[in-house]
Amino acid sequence: MARHNLRTVIGFEFGRNLSKPRFWIITLVVPIALMVVFVLVLLSNTSTSATADAQKNAHIKFSYLDESGVVDDALAAKLGGSPATDPAAAIAAVKAGTSQAFFDYPADPAKQSVKVYGQDKDIFANGVYSSVAQSLLQLSAQQKLDSPKLVQLASGGVNSVTVTYRDGHETAGFNGLIAPILYLVAFYLLIILLGNQMLASTLEEKENRVTEMILTTINPTSLILGKIISLFALGLVQIVVFALPLVVAYALFRTQLNIPTLDLSHLSLDPQQMLVGALILIGGFALFTGTLVAIGAVMPTAKDAGPIFGILMILIFIPFYIVTLVVSDPTAPIVELFSWFPYSAPVTALLRNAFGTLPLWQGLTLGVGLLVLAAIVLRIAVQLFRYGSIEYGRRVSLRGALARRRGFAEQQPR
Amino acid sequence: MTPAPIVEVDHFRMDFGNTTVIHDLSFDVRRGETFGFLGSNGSGKTTTLRALLGIYRPTAGRLLIDGTPFDPDFAHRLGYLPEERGLYKKESVIDVMTYFGRLKGLDKHEALTWSMEYLERVEIADKAKTRVDKLSGGQQQKVQLGVTIMNQPELLILDEPTKGFDPVNRRLLMDIIDEQRAAGATVLMVTHQMEEVERLCDRIILLKDGAARAYGTVTEVQEEFGGLTITLDYAGALPESADYDVVSHGDGHAVLSVDNGADLAGILRALIDAGVTVSRFEPRRRSLDDIFVEIYGDELSGEKGEE
Repeated sequence: MARHNLRTVIGFEFGRNLSKPRFWIITLVVPIALMVVFVLVLLSNTSTSATADAQKNAHIKFSYLDESGVVDDALAAKLGGSPATDPAAAIAAVKAGTSQAFFDYPADPAKQSVKVYGQDKDIFANGVYSSVAQSLLQLSAQQKLDSPKLVQLASGGVNSVTVTYRDGHETAGFNGLIAPILYLVAFYLLIILLGNQMLASTLEEKENRVTEMILTTINPTSLILGKIISLFALGLVQIVVFALPLVVAYALFRTQLNIPTLDLSHLSLDPQQMLVGALILIGGFALFTGTLVAIGAVMPTAKDAGPIFGILMILIFIPFYIVTLVVSDPTAPIVELFSWFPYSAPVTALLRNAFGTLPLWQGLTLGVGLLVLAAIVLRIAVQLFRYGSIEYGRRVSLRGALARRRGFAEQQPR
Repeated sequence: MTPAPIVEVDHFRMDFGNTTVIHDLSFDVRRGETFGFLGSNGSGKTTTLRALLGIYRPTAGRLLIDGTPFDPDFAHRLGYLPEERGLYKKESVIDVMTYFGRLKGLDKHEALTWSMEYLERVEIADKAKTRVDKLSGGQQQKVQLGVTIMNQPELLILDEPTKGFDPVNRRLLMDIIDEQRAAGATVLMVTHQMEEVERLCDRIILLKDGAARAYGTVTEVQEEFGGLTITLDYAGALPESADYDVVSHGDGHAVLSVDNGADLAGILRALIDAGVTVSRFEPRRRSLDDIFVEIYGDELSGEKGEE
């Protein structure tokens, strides 16, 4: 019966949230915003690239004076250039409209600016002059190097592979960071997106005066577990919807959006890190959920619960104020404090786990500790819901509600 | 052999802080009967029901349903209409009814079919897909009633069932209670409507200051509290007598209280002999309303005074 009821609660809670326009508005607002940004970037990139290409390839007639000796005359001729001897005359010709442009290359173009004179087209089209002037200089310089290898090196095309060791073993470096940091992303998404719903999940029974009906129909543990599982499932739906535009963008428009290629073959999955990360994610999620459910059971309305909810939200962001310490000096007392304090531990520990500075023993202790604490808080949350949510319209003291379990409550019943 | 009672309350005590709300309460509800749970506001009726249904944990004593403390697994045999009522307001009527039906042990099809038939019966089938908070108060009451009885409960617990109900829904509720009784359900109801108690209840308990003040069949309780009243229309001066007490009088109308077995003919003769012209002399058993007023009169007047 309990299992049937658990399934029924999950189905009801999942279905009704999924059918609410509000859920989809909240869920879709981020992906839609991302898509809008992608489209804008795409359009902007296409336009910039087209303009740059058009400017580079634009065929203009120009004269030039090269004091650096870098410019190749044959190349300049191909681009429509002819050498000048008198800069003042060349500028006068541009002014008079008899010459389109004049480029004055200084003796040391690496330190001095190239002076570009041209007939005005418009603010965007005028870019063509400097574009052609720079291209001519770059191409001439590359030609002088006379080696594709040197050209590539000169243009910054240098790759390096770093291998680092810790305790005699090769470490994964940045590739090892990607997978475990996803746990942190998932934790933030789950808490930020679902926090309000967790809080409202038990407040709703209270505000609607459904508590007595529901308490005599279903075990409160099944009810609350069902709500938590359905919220978790809703969170996964939201994460999938969020990830969808990223996946589409990566698969179809990677080049246009300048997204770096993700080489999964280099992705490092350390089983120890993954296990500890999963443990801390589940423990942290359960602890925050249990706490929010408990707050919902004690507070009369969502408005009253707001300040405490705010404090919990601050606690998950506080570790980011010491993120550099978390990475560089994980043994610092403040990092240790944040690692062990239950409500800042998930974020701090997940960060440390991703950067490989969380020892296995500490990760396991924290993960198991969070799970145990979550179980205790959930148990208290169930008791508060069972004995506290009946107090419609007023705040219940923790002591009062827990005492009521034993029949010694402080408050007079209605 | 008498079947075991479906509800047993044995030496129940409930403390809230330093206040003892229920002192030492014992009663039982037999299978198939309609049992009235009466008392003034604050006398501990709702507390007792909540303790019976596991919502409060008793300080002492045993409260059993079908021989064991209440467990939500009994939900498929229970129909409970609490004093504080509500439904999931942002869901559709049919979704809420189906949800509760499933929690009460019906499968989805059964819950759906039953709900639609019920909504047709109470003439709100067209509101099946409407959000609960878009319904009128009366329509919400109908849905609430449907949710209470949709599992054909063996035990129906109604806490002030007619409270806040309009006359149409009150009638509907009474019909439903009658149907449930006819189907063999046990009904335990808290009410202040004495005419409902007299019409429906087999046995009653009157709670005062956290203890049973009277307990038994309606007739037994009526006999325990002074038997008979005589309604009198008269002219002249009403003489004093050891045979009756004058409960009220004025404008040619009086109510006399007499003991069980009193010589009614002798009283009438004595009045006539005293020169009183009697145009109406109507003896009847004391109503529960009278008894209620007698037991809780001081509290009721106190409440009025406070108002």
